[in-house]
Amino acid sequence: MTGAVFRETAADPRTQAVPLSHLSLEIGHLYLEDFEAGPAQLRRHFAQVRPWAEAARATAAAGPDGRRPRISTCFLVDDYFTRFSSPAELVPMLLAEADRAGLVIDYLARESSCAVTGGTPVAEAVAGRIVESPPPGSYGPRPPAAETGWLANGERSPVARAPQAMQRAAAWQPPAETAARRHSVFLDAELWSEDPGGRRLWSCPFLAAVWQLARLGLLRAAGEPVLVPRAHTGGPFPDDWDDLPALIRLNPRADPFAAYRTCSVLPSRFLPVEHAVRVILDQTEVDRAALDQVADRSARERTPVPASVADRISYVFYAGP
Amino acid sequence: MPPAASAPAAALLCGEVRTHLLPVHQALDIRTAAQFLGLRADERVLLSERPNLYARSPDTLTGVDCPLPTADGARTRAVGTVAARAALTEGRVLQSSAHVTLPAAGPDRRRPWGEYLVRPGVAEPVGKLPPDAVADGVLGGGRPGDLDLGAIADGLLTRLLRHPLIDHRPPLRSRPTRLRWAALPAAPDEEPSLEFTLAEDHLRTVRLRVPEGTPAAEVAGLCDDLALHDWLLTTVVRLFDGIRPDTPAVLAALRPAVDHLLHLWMPRARVTGDLAPLWDELETRPGFTRQWETLVRRIRDQLALHAIPSPHREAELTP
Repeated sequence: MTGAVFRETAADPRTQAVPLSHLSLEIGHLYLEDFEAGPAQLRRHFAQVRPWAEAARATAAAGPDGRRPRISTCFLVDDYFTRFSSPAELVPMLLAEADRAGLVIDYLARESSCAVTGGTPVAEAVAGRIVESPPPGSYGPRPPAAETGWLANGERSPVARAPQAMQRAAAWQPPAETAARRHSVFLDAELWSEDPGGRRLWSCPFLAAVWQLARLGLLRAAGEPVLVPRAHTGGPFPDDWDDLPALIRLNPRADPFAAYRTCSVLPSRFLPVEHAVRVILDQTEVDRAALDQVADRSARERTPVPASVADRISYVFYAGP
Repeated sequence: MPPAASAPAAALLCGEVRTHLLPVHQALDIRTAAQFLGLRADERVLLSERPNLYARSPDTLTGVDCPLPTADGARTRAVGTVAARAALTEGRVLQSSAHVTLPAAGPDRRRPWGEYLVRPGVAEPVGKLPPDAVADGVLGGGRPGDLDLGAIADGLLTRLLRHPLIDHRPPLRSRPTRLRWAALPAAPDEEPSLEFTLAEDHLRTVRLRVPEGTPAAEVAGLCDDLALHDWLLTTVVRLFDGIRPDTPAVLAALRPAVDHLLHLWMPRARVTGDLAPLWDELETRPGFTRQWETLVRRIRDQLALHAIPSPHREAELTP
């Protein structure tokens, strides 16, 4: 028997897999105001996080075969909305305060890398993957998802037109959450705003949703992984945030950055942001090949992963500012 | 459960294709085609250069929660996503198509949205699906408010035609065609089959029986191919409309076909194994390629006749 094989690589795209832990544990998210409050604030934060981090580890450890779960920790520093301090000043302080509380930061990420990483417009790509949840009665024609920069978990209240003279104003209609259980908890999240020059400023919840997808190993650009950790070479940290890798591995023995599930330990003021993150993730179609890779690997490890991406993330909100 | 493993067997696949001459003066080359079809910043455009130049966009999804069209008026609600994509053949013919896979049964109530998104291109019925009634409904067209795959294909087409690469200077007259298709699984002892109907107003319908488990994307690929070749026949036949064979207008009318259409005929270029024989049936009756070859000969004969100076006409011109 003879056989000829003809193949075109551009007609047969491949998607690269990423290494995966069981759990990605976020032990902090630093903004300018936290930094301005001084090291004492960081110390309080890590002291609060410590018991919850241990609880998250203990829960993950109860796996089916009793093997040691792979858990990596990460920390996110805002360099997108405001620029403050420098890696040279901040990172050693951060590491010292975490260490004092008995915590290890395996990976450090810069928030701006959730907007653009190495020339890849990550946030824009994720925004292009939003598939809005259709309210009952949606039969096809719909405006392109999220053209307005807002995303809701249901149907908005109809806009009352400016009432003309002598015309009675239309009665108010409530918004409706599509997945409501009897009563609605309606949420409408702003994904971005635009400056007068038309440049998009991504919102904190939207970048946090991108951050969750990165931690779940579900981000790809043309089949290549996005936000790949770079090892810290050991020297001093740079003076400019732009000189620090988007995602840096601080602990050489760390488990893989991406994981089947995520848990974030955050102060309770983050609750509205993280509710918006869930609403966004619930309406984002992630890379199908990446999704299948995670499903295959987790099935082989007998670590079931929830089908819905939004169900793979969890939180601990501790009391405090 | 991993999403791949939980995908249920399809009881019905259906779709709709729009075939359109790309309204540009110059056909797009393969690199420009990739730029044109880049609907997503993070996903590649599929490009293929053998046996012809072909580019296909990534799938985009539209969420739906609505009644399905049914021939007998029975109400079946479905929730999920419709996949839509666009393809460009030889940088000249643009097709936008939408398709959906419908499983035999679904849960009694709508699930959280994220669970539908991990199975793109699947819409689950709420309760049981009547596959035959829905297949008839899809082909016949639904009532207002029923699932409208054509509107989704149209939406994608409209979005693409707003692209700055489009100069809206087509080299010849043509009209877009619509093709609706519905595929039911063949019984284990049944051969795959196909029924192609030319309806009025540039609408075509294709009813198929396909081997069980055939992915919707493969059937959509076959139907895109059928739609492309049917459009070529329709367009070239129409070029002869209203032209008198003995006038120089023939040259002006037929020349663009030679420049832009004649090299596009290539049935089954990307139709996969199990479905390829279905094309052969159409070649026997009505004989798509036979008709095409006759048209091509007619065009060449006309052009050859006009290239030779007619002695008769010379005699007329001599005073």
